[in-house]
Parts: sequence; structure tokens; C-alpha cells
Amino acid sequence: MSWQSVFAAMLPEHILLLGIVLLLVLEIASDRPRGALAASLVIVGAATAAAAWLHFIGFSANPFPGHYSVNPQGLLAKAVVLALAVPVLLLARDDFDEGPFYPLFLSSLYGFCLLLSSDSFLTLFLGLELMSLPVYVLVLLAFGRPESPEAALKYLVLGGTATAMFLMGVSLLYGGSATLALSSFAAALGSRDIMATAAVVLIVVAFFLKAAIVPFHAWAPDAYEGASVPVTAYMATIIKAGVLLAALRLFGTSPVSGSMVDFLAILPLVSIVWGNLAAMRQQSFRRMIAYSSIAHAGYLFYAFLGDGPGRFQAVVFYLLAYGLMNVLAFASIPPGDDDATRDRLDTLRGLFHRDPYAAVMIGIAMLSLAGIPPFPGFVAKFLIFKNVIAAGYTTYAVLGLVGSYLGIYFYLRVIQMMFMSPEAAGATRVSPGRAALAASVICLIPTIAIAVFPNWILVRF
Amino acid sequence: MADADLLNLVLFLPLAGIALLVAVPSGQERQMRGISFWVMVVQFVLTAWLYVQFDAHVAGLQFETRLPWIPDWGVYYQIGLDGYNILLVLLTAFLGPLVVAGAFTAVTKDVKLFYSMVFLIQFAMLGAFVAQDLFLFYLFWETMMIPMFLIIGIWGGERRLYATYKFVLYTAFGSILMLAAVIYLVYSLKTTTGVTSFAFADLYRAKLPLSAQTLLLAAFGLSFAIKVPIVPLHTWLPDAHVEAPTTGSVILAGVLLKMGTYGFMKLGFPLFPDATRAFTPLIMTLAVVSIVYGACLALVQNDIKKIIAYSSISHLGYVMLGLASLDLLGIQGAVIQMVSHGLTAAGLFLIVGMIYERCHTRDLAAYGGIARLLPVYSLFFMLLTLASIGLPTTSGFTGEFLVLLGAFTASWPQYQQGNALPLVLSVIAVSGVVLGALYMLRLAQHFLFGAVKAPHAPLADLDRREKLILAAIVVAVFALGLFPDEPMGKTELAAKQFQQLVTTPRLPGSKP
Repeated sequence: MSWQSVFAAMLPEHILLLGIVLLLVLEIASDRPRGALAASLVIVGAATAAAAWLHFIGFSANPFPGHYSVNPQGLLAKAVVLALAVPVLLLARDDFDEGPFYPLFLSSLYGFCLLLSSDSFLTLFLGLELMSLPVYVLVLLAFGRPESPEAALKYLVLGGTATAMFLMGVSLLYGGSATLALSSFAAALGSRDIMATAAVVLIVVAFFLKAAIVPFHAWAPDAYEGASVPVTAYMATIIKAGVLLAALRLFGTSPVSGSMVDFLAILPLVSIVWGNLAAMRQQSFRRMIAYSSIAHAGYLFYAFLGDGPGRFQAVVFYLLAYGLMNVLAFASIPPGDDDATRDRLDTLRGLFHRDPYAAVMIGIAMLSLAGIPPFPGFVAKFLIFKNVIAAGYTTYAVLGLVGSYLGIYFYLRVIQMMFMSPEAAGATRVSPGRAALAASVICLIPTIAIAVFPNWILVRF
Repeated sequence: MADADLLNLVLFLPLAGIALLVAVPSGQERQMRGISFWVMVVQFVLTAWLYVQFDAHVAGLQFETRLPWIPDWGVYYQIGLDGYNILLVLLTAFLGPLVVAGAFTAVTKDVKLFYSMVFLIQFAMLGAFVAQDLFLFYLFWETMMIPMFLIIGIWGGERRLYATYKFVLYTAFGSILMLAAVIYLVYSLKTTTGVTSFAFADLYRAKLPLSAQTLLLAAFGLSFAIKVPIVPLHTWLPDAHVEAPTTGSVILAGVLLKMGTYGFMKLGFPLFPDATRAFTPLIMTLAVVSIVYGACLALVQNDIKKIIAYSSISHLGYVMLGLASLDLLGIQGAVIQMVSHGLTAAGLFLIVGMIYERCHTRDLAAYGGIARLLPVYSLFFMLLTLASIGLPTTSGFTGEFLVLLGAFTASWPQYQQGNALPLVLSVIAVSGVVLGALYMLRLAQHFLFGAVKAPHAPLADLDRREKLILAAIVVAVFALGLFPDEPMGKTELAAKQFQQLVTTPRLPGSKP
């Protein structure tokens, strides 16, 4: 363990840690409300740049052997998701003037970075919890909303359950293999031993719970609705990305076979179908996005049916496309008089006549989430189903695609409201804030870029 | 400028049109209309130039562009013109300016969005025709859905939401199964030949067992059959046509429906020839059912737009019959019939739109004796009606005649071998011509002649803009009817290639 490699390999983490300390000092020492946002933006930007720079110089290191390692691919995934945090932070400008939001946000990102480089269950667990714990508080921070304590509590309890199951599984694995290395999971995947199988099932269910896969999804709509817009955007994109990338880290490139295939396909398939069906009836935008994210978690877990090397590419590209679209949608939602009216889908009625730019942006986001070309959501979905079919699971692929067909209706319903319905009575014309506008532009440019040149990002994985 | 660049320019011109429209300040609707019209005119002129330059004696692609797009997956940006698509590209570009001009007075709401969507669908339709890579084709194919959803949903009639969802949910269901089939096809190509490619030319070489071919043909065919539409998958069409604004109907009838038949011709049949031949009786039966059933339904409608909508089902049945006959004349007739129907149906929807703008009703019973009120209008109406019936010298005659000729030529030897079904189907298909005359003349009789009755008075006859639009279509209809040799020459090699692809067995193990 050389100090240089510890310094370089963990550069993004170090920057975030420095930022957390800096923000805490700032919080105590100064009373300028806007300083925290600007500082956080700089810190996250710097961390992104550090991860991207390490990727481009092809850096790989193993500073804590058996616990923590970095490679160029993982660094790019880190950079991509950290970059997504920038527009999410911009969204927070209107909701959080100051206070604990920013340090908590950065702590959660720190956990995310740790998670992505973990080699042992110890670091993985550390990362997972460090990522999730601040979010329980962030959900609670939606001041003045009666739903938020309930949402936070539900999220906390179910998150705790997931943690418990995860630990239970890990201890079973440890009991069988006497190692905390992540590779013991891959070994257990192929094993017929009852204890190993039980461990795998417990760990996978813990991930299903965190990613909100049916039937472990019930917390998601309440938590998403109860939280404030930036926190919902954060949960829907970065937390989901963290959970999926952690699962990717676990599964590695080991193939899935036998009855594990059905276990890994059926629940996600049910998620796709149920998420898409339940989303049709929602009246709240955030609840709708929650059900949509349940369906998308289903597609993402489908990727694990594919072969090892293609899996990483599929999941990261999907997370990128999906994250961009969600943040784009959240950034374009027009500000309302209060949070409850802002969240009602009805307020989108006639949006095209009030704010054509926002309507077109939400429209693009919805079409892309529905997987309709030429938007990036299509290439992402195509990639996942291509891998599933290439692995030989044609029936599951067809069923998944038919499930995704069910989703088209509710995405188009949003477009219908914005473009085809008369304006809602008494709709206020509040123009969106500059920060939200900036966030939407930040999302729009890469969206167009990966729609036109998907290869540019695909070859890097 | 190389001609290949010219084709790219033609393809991307609509996107440039959208960019220009976005730059126009809102409220300047005159300017928006002008820009849209002239961009479409330029596009047509360039396409016409490409058509003239197109060498009928060269088989395969011309004006080809091939650039790597996602090379790891074998996806290329590959476009080009060949005998399959040259006429349809020309038709699309020809209808472009007419569609735009036809909406000058009809569309007053959200003008900028409207013309942007017209441009977007124009882009997607041209792209789907010129694409020579399955991934690219699918991309354009799906993109068409979005602007049509908005065009029907925003500017449509009273039940527009119902109609537009029905349209989208039908087409999307077909597409989703096609997507699975596309992936499966490419993956099978990879496992059997080791080539990862989405290029049509490579996919034609895939050797699949009959069971796989059948499933894939069913998936592709479902998607195409919904677009055509073939009975019993047609129920979205009358609703979409009736509720769509004139522009939507014209685009739908003029070009979009041809996507389905073009898909069968370029992809469905030649990709899975053995399955196609095994299921030819079924395909022919469905085609003939579409011809007769569509015509019968057209006979009893009281909504003018519905009559034309059902007549489309009937007319496109001929295209399917011609393609399935696998006779060279029948195939060429099918191509001519596609273009001919594109012209006449577009013309009829435009002319119905013009009276709708004046009277705001499509109910046939509300009209009568229009010939006395609007002589010029009625002249055009009569000409288009006759073209739709398929009177000799009009394009409709050439198409239907060649299709029937091809169907009989192909079925006679089979009859002599003891298989009477194709011949029986061909005979039944002829009745479609008679029924066609019946329902169109019924429409003309109630609408143009009889006691003078109009829901709105006084009625102004056509203005200069409307006359020019209709005149352009009528000229094209007669040009295609009187001189079919020229366009048929350009498609002949493609028709031969299609015939050869579909009739050569391609099962694994058989000699190439």
C-alpha cells in the first residue's frame, strides 16, 4: 500500500470528503445562504473531473488489496454518475437554501464512490450504508410536508430490513467460505449447496428491496412522493444507480444459470408489468415516476441474464440514459404555488402553451423513458434485450418487451396532458428558475449526444 | 456535390426545416407557412433530380452512404436508393409541399408545432424508405409514431384522443414484437454465419430453419400488417382517418400505409422466403379478404372520410395480392398501385378536407348537388373518383390491372396442377374492382348530383392555391396512368430481385 496510490485512486473520494468538511466549517462560520450550493457544485464537479481524468489516463490501482480497487471502467461509471449529481444539485437550489442538505448529499455520494470500488463485503456494506443513511434524513428534509416523516420512516424501516437481509446473507456466505471477498458470491452462484443458495437469495432479495422490485416495492411510491423534488430525483437516479452498480460488482462477469435464471427474471418481469400498469392510474407526478422506476429496475435486473462482459456496458448505459431522462423531467416540471400542486399531474395540462420549452423537455424525457427511438432510452433498452436474447432467453425477452409496451400509455398520457389538453384553470405562470433551466440544459446536451452518437460512450465499456 | 450527399441532404432537409421554424418568432405564422412550403419544394426538386439521375440499368443501391455508427453491433448508417424505394421516396417528397400548402388555412392553432411535426414525420418516412440497415430502419419506423400521435391528438376532430391512442397502441404493439424479432434475427445471423450485421444485404443471407422463419415472419408481418392495414388488424384506420386533420389523413393514406407494404416487400417476404412460400395461401386469402371486406364496408358508410378510409384497405389489399403472387407483373403492379393509391387517396382526402373547411361536416347525407354549386371543385372530385375506381388512363387502372394480371398468370399453372385456391382468390379479387366502382360512384352521386343541398351557404369555389394543389395531383395521376413505362423501368430490376429472393429456397442445408 503506497500513499501515492491511495491518494490517486481515491481522489474523487478525497475531494468529496474535503468538501464535506469544508461545508461543515462553512455552515458554522458563515451565514451566506448561497455559498453551500456553489461550493457543493465545485466539489462534485471536481470529483467528476478527477474520476474522468483517472479514466482517461487509464489508471488502475489496488490501494487496499482485497477491499478496494479501481480500474478505468469503474472510474468512468463513477464519473458518469457523479456528473449526474451536478444537475440534481442545481435542482436543490429552489428547495434548500442552506442547512444540512449539502453535507448529507456529499456524504451519500461518498458512499456511492466507495461502493463502486469495493472488493469485499466490508467495503460494499460500508458504501451501501453510507449512501443510504443520509437519504433517510434527506427525505425527511422536505419541510412543511406532512407526508415526509411517514415517507422517511417507511424508507428507513424497509432500508433497514434490506440491510439486515444483506448482512444475514453475507454471514452465511462467510460461514461457508471463510472469506469476505466479493468473489465468494460468484462462487456461491454456481454452487448447489443449500447454505450458499440461501445466502445468494438473501443478498439478491436485499438488492431487490433497495432497487424496489415487486413485491418489495411498496416503499418507493410513498418515499418518492413524500420527498422533495431534488431528493426524489436523487433517489430515482443516483441511489438506483448505486444499488445496481453494487449488484454488478457482486455478480461480476460470472454467468447466471439454473434456477437462479428464473429467480432473476421472474421478479423483474413482474416489476416491469406491475410498475407500468400501476403508473397508469397515478395522479401525482412523483408517484408516477416511482412506479416507472420500479419498471425500470426490472429492465436493469434483466441485464443480469446477459453474459458477463456485456452486462456492465448494458447497465451503465441504461443508468446513464435513464438518469438523464429523470433529471431532465424533474428539472422541467414547472414550479408551482406549493409542493402539492406542483406534484399534481393535472398542473401539466396545457403546459405547452405556458412554457413550450419545458413541455418539449418533459416530452423528450417521457418518450425516452418509454423507450421510443430516436431517444437514448431506446438504445439502452435495445442493448439490454439484445444481451438477453443473445444469452438464449428469448421468451423472457419477448415477455419483457411486451411488458414495456404496457408502459407506453402512461408516458404518452403526460404528453397528451401537456400538448392536447386545455390549460388547467387557475394555472399560475411561474417561470422556471435559472438553476432548473441550467440543470435541464446540462441534461439535454448529453441526451442529444448519446442519441446521435451512442457509440462514443459504448466503446468505453 | 456528389449525389450521395444529395440524398443525405434530402433526408435531413426536414430537420433543417424544424430548426428554421424554431428560429421564427411566434406569431409570425405567414412566415412559418412560407418556410415550410419552400423547404418542402426544395426537397421535392432535389428528389426529382435524384430520380432523373437514377440509373434503371443498375441493380442494387445507388447514391449510397455507409458510415459506421455502432460498429461493435454491426450497425451502420447506411442509406441509398434502389428500385424498391425510388418511387416511394419520390411520392413522399411530391406530397410534402402539397400537404403543407393544404394546411395553410385549415391549421391556425400551434402553427409552429404543427409544421415541425409535419417535417419530423417527413424525415422519419423518408428515412424508413432509404434506410438499408435494419437498426436504422427500426429507428425511423418507430419515430414516425410520435409526430402522428401529436398530429391526430392536437389538431384532430372530436374523438381525437381515442383515435390517436388507438393508432399508437396498435402500431406500438406491432413494433415491440418486431423489435424482438429484429434482435433474434441478427443474433441468429451471428450464430449461423459469424457475421454481426444489421445490413439488409447481409440479412438476406441468413439461413434459418422453417420454424424460426415462421415465427419471425409472424412478428415482422404483424407489425407491417397493422400498418397496411390488413383485415382483421384494420380497425384503427377508420378512426385515425376520420379524427385526423386533413394533413394527418393525407400523410397516413399517402405514405404511412405504404410503410407496411414496403416493409413486406423489402423485409418481410425476402428475409423469410421459405416461410413466405409456405404461408402464401394465407397471405393471399387475407389480401383478398381485405379487398372485398374493405370495399363492402366502404359501400355502407355515411361519413365521407370513412368511405375513403375503407377504400384504402381495399386498394392496399391489391398491393398485398400482387406481392404475394410472386409474378413479375404482379410485383410491378403492386409497386405502381402503392404510388397510385398514394396519389389518389391523398387527393381525395385533400379535396374532402376542402369541403370540410367550408361546411364543417363530413356527413354524406348533408350534401347534394355540389356539382351545381362548385363546378371546378366537382370536376376535380370526379377526376379523383375515377382515378380511384381505376379508369383506364389513370394510375389506378395500371396498378390494379397489372396486379390482377400477375395474380392470374401465377395462379393458372397452379390450377392446372390441381390447386384451385389461388385462381378462386384471383377471381374474387376482381369483384373488388366492381365494388370499388360502386362505392365511389355512390359517393359521387350523392355528393355531386341530385337535389342541391349544402350545410353551409354561400359556398365559395376553389381558390388558386387549392386548384394548384389538386391540379398537381391530377397531373401526376394521369402521368402515371399514361406513361407507366418510365417508373416501371426503374423498379423492374428490384422486382426481379424480390422475385428471385423469395422464390429461392434458403433453408439451412439447401444450396445457395
